[in-house]
Amino acid sequence: MSEGEKKQLDLKRREMPKQPPEVRRYNFSEVALGYTPELAIEEAKRCIQCKKPSCIANCPVEINIPGFLKKVAEGDFVGGIRVLKDKNCLPAVCGRVCPQEEQCEKTCVFHKKGGQIAIGRIERFLADWEAQQSESEMPDMPPRSGRKVAIVGGGPAGLTVAGDLIKFGHEVTVFEALHKMGGVLVYGIPEFRLPKAIVNREVEYLRKLGVELVTDFVVGKTRTIDSILEEYDAVFVGSGAGLPWFMEIPGENLNGVYSANEYLTRLNLMKGFLFPKYHTPVKSHRKVAVVGGGNVAMDCARSALRLGAESRIIYRRSREELPARLEEVENAEEEGVIFDFLTLPLRYIGDENGWVKAIECQKMELGEPDASGRRKPIPIEGSEVIYPLDAVVCAIGNSPNPLIGATTPGLKIGKKGNIEADEKTGATSREKIWAGGDVVTGAATVILAMGAGRFAARSIHEYLSSL
Amino acid sequence: MNLNSVSQILDFAIEKEEEAAQFYRNLAAKMGQQHVGEVFESFAREEMEHKAKLLAVRQGNMTLIDSQRVTDLKIGDHLVEVVLSPDLDYKQALIVAMKAEKAAFQLYQGLASSTDDANLKGILLTLAKEEARHKLRFEIEYEENFLREN
Repeated sequence: MSEGEKKQLDLKRREMPKQPPEVRRYNFSEVALGYTPELAIEEAKRCIQCKKPSCIANCPVEINIPGFLKKVAEGDFVGGIRVLKDKNCLPAVCGRVCPQEEQCEKTCVFHKKGGQIAIGRIERFLADWEAQQSESEMPDMPPRSGRKVAIVGGGPAGLTVAGDLIKFGHEVTVFEALHKMGGVLVYGIPEFRLPKAIVNREVEYLRKLGVELVTDFVVGKTRTIDSILEEYDAVFVGSGAGLPWFMEIPGENLNGVYSANEYLTRLNLMKGFLFPKYHTPVKSHRKVAVVGGGNVAMDCARSALRLGAESRIIYRRSREELPARLEEVENAEEEGVIFDFLTLPLRYIGDENGWVKAIECQKMELGEPDASGRRKPIPIEGSEVIYPLDAVVCAIGNSPNPLIGATTPGLKIGKKGNIEADEKTGATSREKIWAGGDVVTGAATVILAMGAGRFAARSIHEYLSSL
Repeated sequence: MNLNSVSQILDFAIEKEEEAAQFYRNLAAKMGQQHVGEVFESFAREEMEHKAKLLAVRQGNMTLIDSQRVTDLKIGDHLVEVVLSPDLDYKQALIVAMKAEKAAFQLYQGLASSTDDANLKGILLTLAKEEARHKLRFEIEYEENFLREN
């Protein structure tokens, strides 16, 4: 843009309509309602189309962000979705759960002034707009290569690899242990943050591309990877991090103490909140404490609230250190979740029938910053406090299920139970086996898993092309 | 057990480090998962480094410095004891180590409180502080790996 053409910079981010807190805390419907076409166009028009866009470099799947924003600004939504889907096979998911504030939006030139383009919201709008059309546009497909790839796990990493490899011309089969595809997108993230119809839609798109989807198939039990390799040319492992951690404190075997995985799976995958329409009810609790401070903890606390409980987050550090997305913390606060910061659970107390009835905690203070600059919480003697409750959800993290490592000789496993894989290619210690996502990194974000899937797909394609 | 001189105390401490290393080596040999066995092997190597340090002190090649106060994060204090079995994971391995270092710390503290000899009390308290430092090292590793979201 020349000096003469310089236009007034618009630094005002367009807000996305949401359900009011006093309404949404009683339902499981999606909190955010999405941009209208007018809002999406207005927001996209604010992008100044940088010559060297730093947003692309900070997108783990390298989406041409200015490219799709330009199309939306022109009202060309078909063109926009085409640009978006060129690099991202799950745009409706990413538009909702990607931490854009830490990635593409953080490096937007308007960020310093608080006016970064709402890239995620526009991405979400485009994907939802496409879903409303009678038919999705299908890409031109290359001739078949005759090579076969098996993918272990139908979560974000596996689905990304599947989407990329099928478009390279290879035959792809995804083996999923659960009865539905989507991994953490279907069992972990609640309906009010990511409606399952959206995940199903994106999975259906992959099926239309020609990906074979096999459910109820536990690799390591139903068949080992070595057995699968007798039929396939390569295997990608994206089995996630489904083994929950507990605090290892007294009372964790009491009834009413859940892992976040169990609690969320009962609600999201098994639809416990829709009993009797679904036959797997969840117990109604009156007072629920969620231990942890990440997005999973927020999801659990907000779910408990929607089931009618008083819901509190117990977190060892202060609000500033919460690892959850700020947007999710603010949503939880607005809805009425109680936060107990600088509080450490010491033990769970049970009643005579073996049900949890209280939690004993100790207050903490932050010590001096360590080498990383982080201040470690130190217990305050004599500050113990007991909260009465009837359920606890432990949301402090997960590691990968050990099954794949235990049944795949020669596959190098790290000390946290993660598969060791090359960061840039996903290659493992075993020939013909690649891995990526949470099974390599431990529990992380959807988009990082997708980014790892993209790198691995390229590496697998190079290998298959060399055969 | 005669701990009536600095030399006897150092011999005792050296023996304890050797015992600790052997404890970890035995556990490493029993682990079903190779990567957990490697974790215990690394703990055993650390104990041997502690032993080498104490040997150097006894030979007069090094002095034990009673340096600054050691922070006690108390992370291991409320955790349940791990039942030793071949199925342990990394997290449980760290709990075993935190508990062991805490026990060693308490041993030297107890011994220090049972003597009136200022010189011996000083060396025992210094050894207790060394064990507190080892405990802190495991607490930090536990916190960084398993208390990220809490």
